[in-house]
Amino acid sequence: MMISNTKEVQALDFEISRSAEEKRELLYKDDICIGCGICEKTCPVDAIELGSIGAIVRTGADVPKIVCDEDKCVLCGMCSVVCPVDALEFKIDDESIKDMDEYPQLINSAEINDDTCIYCKACETACPRDSITIARNLPDRSKLVTGEIDIDKETCIDCGICEEMCPADAITIEHKLPTPDDPTVSSDIIVDKDKCVYCLICKKSCPVSAIKAACRSCSYGEYDLNPEDTVTTGSSFIDHETCVKCGWCQEICPVDAATVVKTFKGELHIDQDTCQACGACVDICPCNVLSFPQSTVPGKSPEKVMSDENYCIYCGACDNVCPVKAIEVKRTDINHTPTKSKSWEKQIDSLKT
Amino acid sequence: MPKHIVSGLKYLTAVELIRDGYSQKEVAKILEMDRSTVSHYLNGRNLSWNSIEIAKIITEFCPKDFLILTYALMQEKARIVVKTCSNSKYKGIIKESCIGCGLCADICLMKAIVLNDLKAQIDSNWCCGCLICGESCPTNSIEILEVK
Repeated sequence: MMISNTKEVQALDFEISRSAEEKRELLYKDDICIGCGICEKTCPVDAIELGSIGAIVRTGADVPKIVCDEDKCVLCGMCSVVCPVDALEFKIDDESIKDMDEYPQLINSAEINDDTCIYCKACETACPRDSITIARNLPDRSKLVTGEIDIDKETCIDCGICEEMCPADAITIEHKLPTPDDPTVSSDIIVDKDKCVYCLICKKSCPVSAIKAACRSCSYGEYDLNPEDTVTTGSSFIDHETCVKCGWCQEICPVDAATVVKTFKGELHIDQDTCQACGACVDICPCNVLSFPQSTVPGKSPEKVMSDENYCIYCGACDNVCPVKAIEVKRTDINHTPTKSKSWEKQIDSLKT
Repeated sequence: MPKHIVSGLKYLTAVELIRDGYSQKEVAKILEMDRSTVSHYLNGRNLSWNSIEIAKIITEFCPKDFLILTYALMQEKARIVVKTCSNSKYKGIIKESCIGCGLCADICLMKAIVLNDLKAQIDSNWCCGCLICGESCPTNSIEILEVK
């Protein structure tokens, strides 16, 4: 009649479960965990302990970022609800509590509007968590510039200058050794008209003027260009399991196609006098908020850390990791769906500092 | 021996249920017994008076001991025996510190507890006052009061 939890550990991940009236499971994925310690602060039974995050992140040590004592854990699911990423998943009878109305949820989102997106990939490059994938189809080059090109094979001496010069790799000469019955150095010269951009470099560089070419755009303008043929199409994908909703995509997008809603409002303070510029905060920050300014003097290390709060999610990982307590992260507001449970409300509210 | 004690407990339960107005058929269904066995029990046959004496002593144990011993003897069927033969009524009060972990619901042998909006709820009809739920509660949110 004693009811106890079972724990399964796989590499750095763990799974704690209890099966009785219902099956409760807590699943932890270390590669998604940002080491912020919000779960440790929220756990009502002190079952979760944050590891030595600074050391783990900086040395790549094979140690999980959090440890959960399965004998203390009561599988209430609170850690899962407050986790700013999806590192802790909680299921009751195989259904995620994210899909259950009685459980509160942190409100946050990141979206890219494919109608507005021009698929420039700036967000994909900027995303500190590699959560964005942009798949794009480029316009057909041959439809953007048209013209005519013709090589007079009688005049051509197979020198290969045009082949070497062509910036679009559109010309191919099939080189061969001459034989008594065919004393030429090539069997054919071919222009790929899908690749040719009618720049006329071949024509201008041909030593025997064997090439006739004209660009229609240069002669007549762009009247025959179909605007639809110039558009880059594509699709965007955000991996919401790893996305931290930091706002880099929104800030960097040139056409305002990305929208990010953050859970926490707050403040980030760095005491520059105390900061020893060790860089632990820079390494732990999941949002690429912190950086060292480029040193202007060779051989001199940076003296202070810079921050841009635009990208901060106020997770507090830097605050935890700073060895000299030079960083203070304050959370002033928490955006979450309502709950009827007073204890949950109180526990979520306690994340405000 | 355990078999005899079980018979005694079933006898006491059957008597109580009949007193509460259930028919022999209903009693047989509730206790998952043959109707004829119920009839025999009620007429004092196939049963030693000694077993009934011991069963009576067990029902007078403190609620936790009564429940645990009966559960050890009868498993799931202990619920109806304990509910029927218990002389007291209990009311559970859940404090707002309840986190809805469901440990109490899992541990309650009487199946008297359900979760509602992340808060435990104790059904007074089934609560036997054993206090096992309170012992398991990680936030000390359960208070059980005897109401009769």
